[in-house]
Amino acid sequence: MNIIEARNITKKYTGHMALDDVSVSIPKGTIYGLLGPNGAGKTTLIRIINHITAPDSGEVIFDGHRLCADDVVHIGYLPEERGLYKKMKVGDQAMFFAKLKGLGSKEAETQLKQWFERFGIMDWWGKKVEELSKGMAQKVQFIVTVLHRPKLLIFDEPFSGFDPINADLLKREILKLRDEGATVIFSTHNMESVEALCENFSLINRSHNILSGNVAEIRSRMGADNYKLTFQGSPEALFTSLGDRVLRHKIGAPAETPQGLTYSAELKLQPGTPMREFISLANEAVDIVTFDRALPSMNEIFIKTVEQSNAAADVAKALRAN
Amino acid sequence: MRNNIGIIIHREFAERVAKKSFIITTLLMPVLMLLMMAAPALIMAFSTPSDKHLAVIDESGVMFSPIEEGTKDIEYLTVNQVKAPLDSVIADHGYDGVLFIGADVVENPRNTFLYLHDAGSMEVENTINSILKQKIEDTRLRAYNIENLQQIMAEVEADVHVSTIRIDDDGKEESTSSTISMFIGMAMTFILYMFLLMYGQMVMTSIIEEKNNRVLELVVSSVKPIQLMLGKILGVGLVAVLQVFIWGVLICLMSAFVVPLLMPESITSQVEMMNAGTLDMASGVDPDMLRAVGMFTSVGYLATLFGYILLFLVGGFLFYASIFAAIGSAVDNIQDASQLQSFAIIPIIVALVFSMSVATDPNTSAAFWFSMIPFTSPMVMLARIPFGIPHWEIWVSVVVLYISFVIMAWIAAKIYRVGIFMYGKKPTVRDLIKWARYK
Repeated sequence: MNIIEARNITKKYTGHMALDDVSVSIPKGTIYGLLGPNGAGKTTLIRIINHITAPDSGEVIFDGHRLCADDVVHIGYLPEERGLYKKMKVGDQAMFFAKLKGLGSKEAETQLKQWFERFGIMDWWGKKVEELSKGMAQKVQFIVTVLHRPKLLIFDEPFSGFDPINADLLKREILKLRDEGATVIFSTHNMESVEALCENFSLINRSHNILSGNVAEIRSRMGADNYKLTFQGSPEALFTSLGDRVLRHKIGAPAETPQGLTYSAELKLQPGTPMREFISLANEAVDIVTFDRALPSMNEIFIKTVEQSNAAADVAKALRAN
Repeated sequence: MRNNIGIIIHREFAERVAKKSFIITTLLMPVLMLLMMAAPALIMAFSTPSDKHLAVIDESGVMFSPIEEGTKDIEYLTVNQVKAPLDSVIADHGYDGVLFIGADVVENPRNTFLYLHDAGSMEVENTINSILKQKIEDTRLRAYNIENLQQIMAEVEADVHVSTIRIDDDGKEESTSSTISMFIGMAMTFILYMFLLMYGQMVMTSIIEEKNNRVLELVVSSVKPIQLMLGKILGVGLVAVLQVFIWGVLICLMSAFVVPLLMPESITSQVEMMNAGTLDMASGVDPDMLRAVGMFTSVGYLATLFGYILLFLVGGFLFYASIFAAIGSAVDNIQDASQLQSFAIIPIIVALVFSMSVATDPNTSAAFWFSMIPFTSPMVMLARIPFGIPHWEIWVSVVVLYISFVIMAWIAAKIYRVGIFMYGKKPTVRDLIKWARYK
């Protein structure tokens, strides 16, 4: 069951296409990464999912029905660029946002106080926002985003401005919300946190969805036939023995270990090479220390996919120009 | 979503009303306004002109005694006739100045000069001018050798004051004074001008601020942009209404309880007689003054005036605040707003300037049309109302104004919706029009 089904979304601004036929499906109860270079169209997509802007064509299905204005109370959105009313007191402000999300005064106050206690910021309640540091204000913003227990949470760069300790606190809270049943859309440039948190992702580039799927699956697919081998012995002997089964290789400088010189190599094999054959050939030539699959990081996938897509688009453009 | 606009209005209203500056201006303004109205009288009462001691060289030989006589009611002017050359008298610092009267002053009245050691004062000049004028005229008249001249002059003198009586459509008569109507109209126009500019710009700057510190992004995730915009306009508008309302109540209270205490009894009774139509106009009283006093002590009349101010303040504010809101949403900072702002400020100023001319003649066709066009109607209409124009004109103007607000708010909301997410580029009018056309 998907909480969000964005189908064939197109949005045009004067002079440029923000989204061109983008479809995204976000399964309920998961953390979904929305990735892409700056200006790719992520924020536009988020705004459309959040019912702030309307798409020119295409539709968004929220929890089984077409997204409408009333669904906004089930969504919590923490924008990348975010601020608070400077002159307003923290408590009043939190109450204001809570009420906008449809909470009653009493309920809002009890819930807010719980969160403030949990984050250890109870003594900020009566302070003006302008007295808070950026990180402090971010905590308040996080609380007002999640306070009304939305079914869908959208975080755009949630960790920016946080120190490692508070970033970790936030990460735990996000996971906890997921465990309690919320779905999280997570937009970030920090690929490590995508690996750590997201089950699925979409990569948006130049207003197109160029890659979507499960993080583990795509990593293993993109990393097929990639292996990491550390060994002792002669690299020449190894490559002679393996022959044309190795398509590409990268070998680092040998490291001095108590057992002798140890090499570390990354190998891209001919697709379909049986593992057993590879190991036995390698084993004849050198002493194997470790052998493992080399999964590409999300960072590598990001860069490679975006570059390929840009190159393809440029070629298409050049062809059209001729 | 439903009652979110109420939450926005509440926030905008509470934030401003709780400010110290609001409380202070609200309470102090009526006092200041009264002081301003009373200022000329107070200045006259408290500033006694410094004594002037003049020497007079009267070469004609006929002017000196009249000046001496004339100084009887003017305590601060004492004169001494001297017979000495002008230069030496000027050099004598025992006097504040020298009045030189030429020998041919009756034929050539300009041959008089006043030499002063310090700055001249209009008071002294006027006094001397009027005394000399009278004396010269007398001398010239006397040259005709008319018998019983004094008596004739006394009999001929007339004190003219036209009493204007307006007959309204029902045939009811009402005595009016154009002068008072003019002042009341200008005062109301000016109050409205202040409010439109002040509160209109307040809407604009507060939108720019929200956009600038990006709290907008957080708010629009729970509120539709149009709700946010209308909530802000209505919230700020309520503050303006509250302020005018408090002023109205304060001024009505003062006129009911404070002014009668301060007023001398003779004037109060004359006002009563005038209202009853039994006042003898020939008794030498100034009917304009009495009428003005009558108005300031008539709570009902003042309340009606404030009612009209509120009616046009709300309509005018809503209309102009929509324009200011659209501008505020489009720009990133106040500096960028200055150019676009002129689209709101120039019509307001034009309306103010035009109202001043309307206040002298409220019945021209230009006055009529400017009081119907929503850009100028609130102020121009307020300038016309004290003259007692037909009621249908007022209501047509009000209806046009409020309908125009709805249209303007609709256009503004379209611009606002796009503008609040636009950063960086300084928008032009063409951009705004393009945004308003987006689906």
